[in-house]
Amino acid sequence: MKMAALCSEYGDLVQIKKQLMSVISLCKERGLLHSSKWASELASALDRLPKDELPPSPPFTEEDAQDLDALTLAKSYFDLKEYDRAAYFLKGCCSQKAYFLYMYSRYLSGEKKKDDETVDSLGPLEKGQVRNEALRELRVELSKKHNAGELDGFTLYLYGVVLRKLDLLKEAVEVFVEAIHALPLHWGAWLELSNLVTNIEMLKSLSLPDCWIKDFFLAHMYTELQMIKEALQKYQNLIEAGFSKSTYIISQIAVAYHNIRDIDQALALFNELREQDPYRIDNMDTFSNLLYVKSMKPELSYLAHNLVEIDKYRVETCCVIGNYYSLRSQHEKAALYFQRALKLNPRCLGAWTLMGHEYMEMKNTSAAIQAYRHAIEVNKRDYRAWYGLGQTYEILKMPFYCLYYYRKAHQLRPNDSRMLVALGESYEKLSQHSEAKKCYWRAYSVGDVEKMALLKLAKLHEQLNESDDAAQCYMLYIQDIFSCGEQLEHAEVSTALRYLGQYYFKNKLYDEASLCAQRCCDYNDAREEGKALLRQISQVRDQIETPSADLFAPLSNNNTPVRRVSPLNLISFTP
Amino acid sequence: MASVHESLYFNPMMTNGVVHANVFGIKDWVTPYKISVLALLYDMTASKISLPERRRLNKLILPLQQGPDLSLGQFLKTVEECCPQTAYAVKQRLQEMADGELKDMEYFFSTLPTPFTAFDSEAYKTSVVGLFMRHMLLAYNKLSFSQVYKLYKSLQLYYHSHYAKPADGQSSLPALVADDSDMDLTSTEDTVGDRIDREELDTPMHESELRSDNAPSRGPLSQKQAEYFLARQAYLLKNDENKALKPAALQEELNNMLKFNPDFAEAHYLNYLNSMRVQDIFLSAHCLLHYFDRLILSGNEGKSNGDEGYGRSLRYAALNLASLHCRFGHYQQADLALQEAIRIAQESNDHVCLQHCLSWLYTLEQMKGSDSTVLTEDSVKMAAHFCLPYLASLGNQSLVQQGATQGETAHKLMDALKDTDILHWKHSLSELIEISLAQTTSIWRMYGKSTMALQQAQLLLNMSSLEPVNFGVQQNNTEAFAVALCHLAELHAEQGLYCAVSHILQHLKEQFPPHSQHAKLWMLCNLKIQFERHMNEGKYQMAEPLVTAISALNKTEGLYRKAQVLKALNRSTEAYSVLQRLQVHCETTKCTEVVIRVMLSTAELHWESSGFSTALPLLLQALALARKHHLQSLASETILHLAFTQLMLGVPEHALSVLHEAIEPVLAHGSVMDKGRALLLTARCQMAVAGFRLNGKGPADFHLAGLAVDTLNEAAGYFSKLNCKERLRDVHYLHALLHRSLGQTSQCHKSAMLFRLLDQELQSPAPPVSMRL
Repeated sequence: MKMAALCSEYGDLVQIKKQLMSVISLCKERGLLHSSKWASELASALDRLPKDELPPSPPFTEEDAQDLDALTLAKSYFDLKEYDRAAYFLKGCCSQKAYFLYMYSRYLSGEKKKDDETVDSLGPLEKGQVRNEALRELRVELSKKHNAGELDGFTLYLYGVVLRKLDLLKEAVEVFVEAIHALPLHWGAWLELSNLVTNIEMLKSLSLPDCWIKDFFLAHMYTELQMIKEALQKYQNLIEAGFSKSTYIISQIAVAYHNIRDIDQALALFNELREQDPYRIDNMDTFSNLLYVKSMKPELSYLAHNLVEIDKYRVETCCVIGNYYSLRSQHEKAALYFQRALKLNPRCLGAWTLMGHEYMEMKNTSAAIQAYRHAIEVNKRDYRAWYGLGQTYEILKMPFYCLYYYRKAHQLRPNDSRMLVALGESYEKLSQHSEAKKCYWRAYSVGDVEKMALLKLAKLHEQLNESDDAAQCYMLYIQDIFSCGEQLEHAEVSTALRYLGQYYFKNKLYDEASLCAQRCCDYNDAREEGKALLRQISQVRDQIETPSADLFAPLSNNNTPVRRVSPLNLISFTP
Repeated sequence: MASVHESLYFNPMMTNGVVHANVFGIKDWVTPYKISVLALLYDMTASKISLPERRRLNKLILPLQQGPDLSLGQFLKTVEECCPQTAYAVKQRLQEMADGELKDMEYFFSTLPTPFTAFDSEAYKTSVVGLFMRHMLLAYNKLSFSQVYKLYKSLQLYYHSHYAKPADGQSSLPALVADDSDMDLTSTEDTVGDRIDREELDTPMHESELRSDNAPSRGPLSQKQAEYFLARQAYLLKNDENKALKPAALQEELNNMLKFNPDFAEAHYLNYLNSMRVQDIFLSAHCLLHYFDRLILSGNEGKSNGDEGYGRSLRYAALNLASLHCRFGHYQQADLALQEAIRIAQESNDHVCLQHCLSWLYTLEQMKGSDSTVLTEDSVKMAAHFCLPYLASLGNQSLVQQGATQGETAHKLMDALKDTDILHWKHSLSELIEISLAQTTSIWRMYGKSTMALQQAQLLLNMSSLEPVNFGVQQNNTEAFAVALCHLAELHAEQGLYCAVSHILQHLKEQFPPHSQHAKLWMLCNLKIQFERHMNEGKYQMAEPLVTAISALNKTEGLYRKAQVLKALNRSTEAYSVLQRLQVHCETTKCTEVVIRVMLSTAELHWESSGFSTALPLLLQALALARKHHLQSLASETILHLAFTQLMLGVPEHALSVLHEAIEPVLAHGSVMDKGRALLLTARCQMAVAGFRLNGKGPADFHLAGLAVDTLNEAAGYFSKLNCKERLRDVHYLHALLHRSLGQTSQCHKSAMLFRLLDQELQSPAPPVSMRL
């Protein structure tokens, strides 16, 4: 709704399309490939413009004409990655476009040299000393121009990037905001800004231009900050406003669903995405994660083969193959592919974590710890890595030690039941029963994914001889299992029924007890006990029918616990 | 664009996708500094040098080879001091290379004497020099072309930055030179650290944009420099925190180091220590775990989960976590962590680790306030069995401490201390020697032998440490020193030497800044001294706010002081209830000293309601308790109370004879206040025995009265020392009475006048002649 309002404010979709078209050409001229890719994807999702409505090419000034030859030459060198050469020929050009390309070439040349030099480093002394030497000079020049107010949107963006690389984050944020104000349509600037925003308060405190692109940014930010509901809402608005064909939005929504573990929704979206854009590699690693979770071997195998055909030296491809091998329990090979992904891009967060998981499977705990630590180094908010560390220490039988890591993970994902269950288990091992109970209960309250929390809680109560609480938990557990519809492999309904039967029997509620016992007979492992219980019940009933038993009947009614759920409810949630 | 978003950072140390934690395993890399050293060695072999100069240079070789990289200026300066001629030659050679071309450097390497051929020279392959040269040649030959080129570039930078320096940094150079002028071999290393400090101070972050751009970047430290930095800071943190970098500066330095070498696990440990310093539980736990995560990696190389592998660091990780929680007072958490450590240690049969756990266990029990004597005894036995003298005598000391509070006989304690002392000296456990001295001080103090306590405290403070004096740190700032200094302060305060006290406290404040671990000791001590002073001077209103502060640091002590203030302010009912509560509490925690003090205070409360006979059994009980625990000062204090009670009950002869027993120890060991009070009491007893009546009738015994006058004079001297006006007033009053009865009118008038003056000043009505001690 809001989007529609915004659209009317900024003109209709045609207007947006026009804006996109012009920014695409601007980005292309300056060699900003990713931004132009993003804008093009979005533009192609909108309707085609008639010929006479195509945006006019930007005005051609005298300065541009002067620099035209140099710029054309330099741009062709730039495209061929001969950055120094491009910069050399652009020196002295005065148009904004040429100036940006000049600075950008110098920046990229520095980056390239830095990458090359890392290989040739002179040992540990120099490790880390390798840096982009051009950054300092660029910063000095750009800050002078910045103070004089001579920077346009693109150069401001470059200035921000330079600042960020120099770890001057506060200044960088300011400059990016400025760049966005100067040129709201440049997605690269938004993206850079999103990397610097660490929490919602900071996001709220930024003053951003009121442009339709802001909604894209906010949606992206919400996803990053794990505020999935808000993100989904934003994307929904955007789709309603007319961006329904955008593959970008579809992929983002799919990722968002993945983050809240709504697997089916996410899978459906990814399948749609692959139909629309069969050669897409971006986000396919997330898709493979989903397939992995669902154990969909053939689909995963198909995806892996398909991606290898498209481009086998992409990080995403390697991750998909890694997942594929992992699903086939070939963990060494899986680790190998994750390593390859990391060689392609060491800052690839997911691969570090996944590699950690593989090492865990291989029982190589120390390598797993290292991998997880690397993941945390790349991104401190990676809850999976913290969780993985916790699991590693749990395997090493250090329940107290792993508490810290689980707590960290829980802090990052307060509403994820898995961390809570893990925390609860650790507390249970440490005999901190009250904490464990709290954790399990909370895990159930936030929506237990694995449906284990209640069972564990019930067992804990059982251990502590708190039979009423235990019975209630088993009750809820049965309710929970049947209400979710699907059959879970590890479900222990029989255990619950067995306990409930005994519980009712002890409390002399024979009707309920016999109901439970009958249900028990449906399960192989509890059949004998169920039958035994039924026999016992009938024996006792025979005794009750003798007159002397009448004395006890009212008594036994009084003995029943008040908190218990009426057992007759059981009928309503049988499958 | 791609490289803008995601740095194509590629790590060459990475094999199989895993960065080897110990990239520093390869220690020999050719650096410009190493080239300078090589040039020096080359010149030493090539040229003729006089014998003393050669000797000096030879002494220099090892530190130069093994020390951290120096700047060219420092290097040349060091060499110059030994042999100017060689320094010049080295400089010349470097200049040739730096101002020439790449081939000059290559030529230099090719002309180096090969250790394999030069049989008779010092550079033969097995010598120290030869080994170094071989390492360097190997490392150089392994370099690829671009690396060689880079090396050459950095050599140029190294050389020229030294000579470019005077142009822009005129001011900083003389300072460096001044440092270097008195530099000998051992302090070479010291100046490096200082330089870091200075740089830290000299370049505030982002001061002005252009300046920070021009200033030479503070590059990463080489491994040895980093190791040295860490070792130095850790040592300083342990021994003299004030000399270490400030917490914030250290944190920044560590962050910087970790940014460049994220694999440097030890830095995380130092980070942990640093966070402990500022009581940051969150960060310190984080760093500790991070350190052990890293350590587990490096410990894993080629070793299995056995004794030496990462299993070992796992145990110690849990143990360290326990100690962390213990330090922050999370006893339950500490207990859990400790259980875990114990379990893992048991599983892997690591007795040494188990022993450490055991000693932590009894420490923890002690901190939780429960009796852990049995545990401690076990621990000592086991430690002795596994030949861990440190743990054994630490256990012994803690046993002595427990014994002391629980009334173990003195000679047993002293014997135990002596035995452990022998152990300490045998194994040179200087830390424990200090603790032992501090403990002896405390024990003597507890027994009320202030002279002995004073002597022991002085002994500790004047002892030169057994440990080698590193980094110019003379005095340790360990807990033992803090304890000894606090005792010293209190002992001085007892004698009324408040100026000395303030000096000592000032020193404590500097040595143990308020945020540090042992600061609470002197804070409490300071508060107690102030409180006593105010109480002595009769400024009860000023003492009252101190009670809250004391309670914050020590609850029992605070409660006791509160009772005292309430008593002084005549709020007897409240005081009584507080004392009752305190007594119950202390009897359960076996805090004998406080129990006796509480009994005395309760007795004083009884006096106020003239319940002298009810006070008697209480006092006798206190006396028995004090004697049983050999608490001499408290025993004599109790005797004073007893004597006073007897005096008030009208048996001054008995009182006087009882007093004779106490007066000697009081005068020998007691505080000024105690001495004054004892003498005042004696005088009053003497007056009473002499048959003196308040109605002014002449005394029966002039001799005794004369004695009383002398005693009063002495008491007056003590009271005036403490500025204790209320008691001075009493003294003057008694004086006046005595003089009048003795017929010495002028002296009588004088005393009366003094009394009048004080009475006006004090304003509070004089209590009926001293219903108090």
